[in-house]
Amino acid sequence: MLSGIKTVNTAISKRVGPNLTKCLWLSTTTSTASNKDSKLPTGDQISHTDLLQRIKIPPIKRTNESIDKMRSRLIYQSRKRGILETDLLLSGFASKYLKGMNLEELREYDELLNELDWDIYYWATKNYKISKIPDKWVDSKILHRLQDFAQNKNKEILKMPELDKY
Amino acid sequence: MLSLRTRGSILSRSSNAVRAFSTARTTRLAHQTNAADSSSMPNSDYHIIDHEYDCVVVGAGGAGLRAAFGLAEAGFKTACISKLFPTRSHTVAAQGGINAALGNMHPDDWKWHMYDTVKGSDWLGDQDSIHYMTKEAPKAIIELEHFGMPFSRNEEGRIYQRAFGGQSKEFGKGGQAYRTCAVADRTGHAMLHTLYGQALNHDCNFFIEFFVMDLLTHNGEVVGVIAYNQEDGTIHRFRSHKTIIATGGYGRAYFSCTSAHTCTGDGNAMVSRAGFPLQDLEFIQFHPSGIYGSGCLITEGARGEGGFLLNSEGERFMERYAPTAKDLASRDVVSRAMTMEIRAGRGVGKDKDHLLLQLSHLPPSVLKERLPGISETASIFAGVDVTKEPIPILPTVHYNMGGIPTKWTGEALTVDPETGEDQPIPGLFACGEAACVSVHGANRLGANSLLDLVVFGRAVAHTISDTLQPGLPHKQVPMDIGKESIANLDKIRNANGSRPTAEIRLKMKRTMQADVSVFRTQETLDEGVSNITAVADSFKDIGTTDRSMIWNSDLVETLELQNLLTCAKQTAVSAAARKESRGAHAREDYPTRDDENWMKHTLSWNQNISDPVTLKYRKVIYKTLDEKECPSVPPAIRSY
Repeated sequence: MLSGIKTVNTAISKRVGPNLTKCLWLSTTTSTASNKDSKLPTGDQISHTDLLQRIKIPPIKRTNESIDKMRSRLIYQSRKRGILETDLLLSGFASKYLKGMNLEELREYDELLNELDWDIYYWATKNYKISKIPDKWVDSKILHRLQDFAQNKNKEILKMPELDKY
Repeated sequence: MLSLRTRGSILSRSSNAVRAFSTARTTRLAHQTNAADSSSMPNSDYHIIDHEYDCVVVGAGGAGLRAAFGLAEAGFKTACISKLFPTRSHTVAAQGGINAALGNMHPDDWKWHMYDTVKGSDWLGDQDSIHYMTKEAPKAIIELEHFGMPFSRNEEGRIYQRAFGGQSKEFGKGGQAYRTCAVADRTGHAMLHTLYGQALNHDCNFFIEFFVMDLLTHNGEVVGVIAYNQEDGTIHRFRSHKTIIATGGYGRAYFSCTSAHTCTGDGNAMVSRAGFPLQDLEFIQFHPSGIYGSGCLITEGARGEGGFLLNSEGERFMERYAPTAKDLASRDVVSRAMTMEIRAGRGVGKDKDHLLLQLSHLPPSVLKERLPGISETASIFAGVDVTKEPIPILPTVHYNMGGIPTKWTGEALTVDPETGEDQPIPGLFACGEAACVSVHGANRLGANSLLDLVVFGRAVAHTISDTLQPGLPHKQVPMDIGKESIANLDKIRNANGSRPTAEIRLKMKRTMQADVSVFRTQETLDEGVSNITAVADSFKDIGTTDRSMIWNSDLVETLELQNLLTCAKQTAVSAAARKESRGAHAREDYPTRDDENWMKHTLSWNQNISDPVTLKYRKVIYKTLDEKECPSVPPAIRSY
């Protein structure tokens, strides 16, 4: 049944080979069944060992896209994420700010949306120990605004805004 | 008559281009609709592009990707169509892990895993499928590892396995099993990326951000799908010998759910509209503590560390329902108690429709060290400072056990109208949460769903490669095939009724949450059927505002609402009909399992959301694939 197995991605296999990952579990194997979550390594350990596989998948290139079309696309892509947490953050953020963004800001936001959902979430909540922030995002105005939004200063229950709010 | 201008398409085969067709093609669109008479057939002129493939996979989550590259690898010209960029599929959210009896932590046997899964399913699972899944599980893990999935390791350098609820040794008699493999707390993420990497290494053509509207059927056979390309507004008809649905669940039919907003049961609804049945939709897994309004999960560890639930009178009501375990009672007990409190009028908030989880009495050190994620989640998504205020919470939909009925081979099933025997639907397959194989039966065990994705995604590819030759010509079908789907799109895009999508959507969510959730009696379920029927009927008065064809979220979300409504309606009717308690379907008025009358799968049909739902039943498959190798697990009382 498994004739189709191909060992590819040798670079990745090397990077995450047993030697590197072994250390991750040294402190965890002695714990008991009573608290199953305690066995998980923390995000801190993950980023330090660069455990997680990051196949770099190039985003779709958009050519000759008008600013209105781009805005419509970004509304869709802010509301259709892989995880609920970024669904709520980005859809809310976009309803508040997308209308007022100029072309340069829209491009920056577009690039942010092309990042991975878990990264976006941890960067928006400044959990850099879990997801290390790349240099290109450190001074991003758009990310700073998203971080500000994620503080939920109005103390609201976050829901996805309806479409007429964009 | 709707005129369809078609154009043959020449596709460039490309291994890594995300859009495999030539985008340089000029696509002219004209949107002339007769707004004055929206009830007649549309005379709009949609630009249609035709494609021919051996196989088409709808959905690019774990199951869809595994099926897609398996098919490409076997030499089939394969298209994978998704409304999302693949790395944004909801598989990415899975944190728990993936079960397999590798035996890396203690001696283990896949037959113990098989026993646990049958028991977990409360004997609604098909034992041939469970036999297959648990036996294949270790191979599936090794395969993923070979693909480069960076599983966490134990000190010997082998794949680490942790404990998870419902997993035991020696057929439930040997205590807790350590059977769950993980990639730290991002197993779903790592799996999705690993599988997408594989798909890019194979000759698999991706159509990204295409919204598949319907199956194409001819003479009772599925012959492809029809989709809308959001980027340029073109309509695409994909002919295929085999169509694989891997579109995930429909948690969004409920007010509170943990899944992303993309989980709208699109594939389930396409199958319904094509006249085929769905199975066991009444079985829905709830988590007791999702943040009210947001759905984000608050881990059960919060109660484990001393948090407790409060009603509007400030009472710790769990003491009444579970005097010993109190707030540490099992998921279903807590969810039920919460729902009882809300129904008794002791819910909090403006609509008295949720409860409170208090943590503020815990020492700040406990909150900070043992529950760090919770303080943050509560603050971001509920605006709550857990050191001072309680968190508003509600039982929240987590997983759909039901879906498209399939065999362990991935072939979609219906029943012969005369004999009632299982009958494969020609050309149709399903895998992942969209499918009901059924390995989860009446209740899914943690870390069995990622396993389901890869095992049955792979099974689909194997079944097809055993039965189909690549490159066969396609049968003749009518030139205007798919016209009903375009007419539906046109009608919704130009709908000028009085009810906005958001209004009907909220009504549906509230109805399902109130009447078809955890607390189930004949009265509440009948009320649910009548309420959701009224909501579905109101869809004819829908009004949309965006008339464009490019990135029209209003249009897509209304099509999604239509899909959710058919899932919701069939869920309510199926639940009202099942007069027993089994797994996640817990009836107050029929508190015990009734194997004599109800050890059977519900099948539901609903071709149009305004039609009544038709129910039939099919036998649960009790025999395993090989009774000598792995005897069936006889029914017993499911207790933990």
